[in-house]
Amino acid sequence: MAAPDSFEFPIERGKVHEFALAVTDDNPVFHDESSARAKGFASVPAPPTFAMCASFFQPPGSQAIPEGLDMRYVLHGEQEFIYHRPVVAGDRLYGASKAEPSFAKEGRRGGTMTFYPIATEYRDAAGELVLTVRTVTIVTSGTVQE
Amino acid sequence: MAAERMKQLDWDSAIEGAESPEIRVEKVSRVNFVRYAGASGDFNPIHYDDDFTRAAGNETVFGQGMFTAGVLGRLVSDWLGVQGLRRYRVRFTQRLWPGDDIVCKGRVVRRYEEAGERKVDVQVVALNQKGEVLITGDATAVC
Repeated sequence: MAAPDSFEFPIERGKVHEFALAVTDDNPVFHDESSARAKGFASVPAPPTFAMCASFFQPPGSQAIPEGLDMRYVLHGEQEFIYHRPVVAGDRLYGASKAEPSFAKEGRRGGTMTFYPIATEYRDAAGELVLTVRTVTIVTSGTVQE
Repeated sequence: MAAERMKQLDWDSAIEGAESPEIRVEKVSRVNFVRYAGASGDFNPIHYDDDFTRAAGNETVFGQGMFTAGVLGRLVSDWLGVQGLRRYRVRFTQRLWPGDDIVCKGRVVRRYEEAGERKVDVQVVALNQKGEVLITGDATAVC
């Protein structure tokens, strides 16, 4: 069942169409139900990075951003999607984010880089894990020479 | 855009070092960044408001990293298919400026059997028209 602090992320066909267009993807499987069915999907599947749209549904307070991290002064270092099964229009997913332990590395151009991973797990109404999304945010300290 | 679709990678052709066809998006513009903002919900004005981005010390607006990752995702889903895709990861290297091209390509790193499934690991990259790396990525799919 949905965790108490989870948010609902409904997968909508119109949004899949819009998102695929925005990333210049004209693959009919993302736009046309009959093409999707011909490929064995119940409806149009979500493109690989579609979960970025979850920002429309996730309440700002539930993003698990570590305390003291000013999101205006950080770099988006890495983004990972782990697909446990395809996400398809009509799915209702429930997401919950949690911060993973941060770690530091010496930057090649001086200063320390601190990495803050946040993982969001999306489950279906039955509680089955469907998609895991990891975002790694980097904070640099010291002088970074471009 | 071409109606002809890329041939999906199959087990027999997933030899280590095998290269994907290329995808090229020519001369991206502010329209691309605005559309991506609207579709994704990333409304950071640094990607579409020139006054804002200049005040922040940039010459002009630049693309969302996840826009380029989405374009590179086209290569991933065209080449590996949507059904069998298990993982896609990107790392951001360099910014995308208006007028740049995006060139996406990939290479098979490994094919193997795991828990009764045939899998393939690939590396993918998005370059600009000068051959500079915008983002690197890797993906795993059942093949």
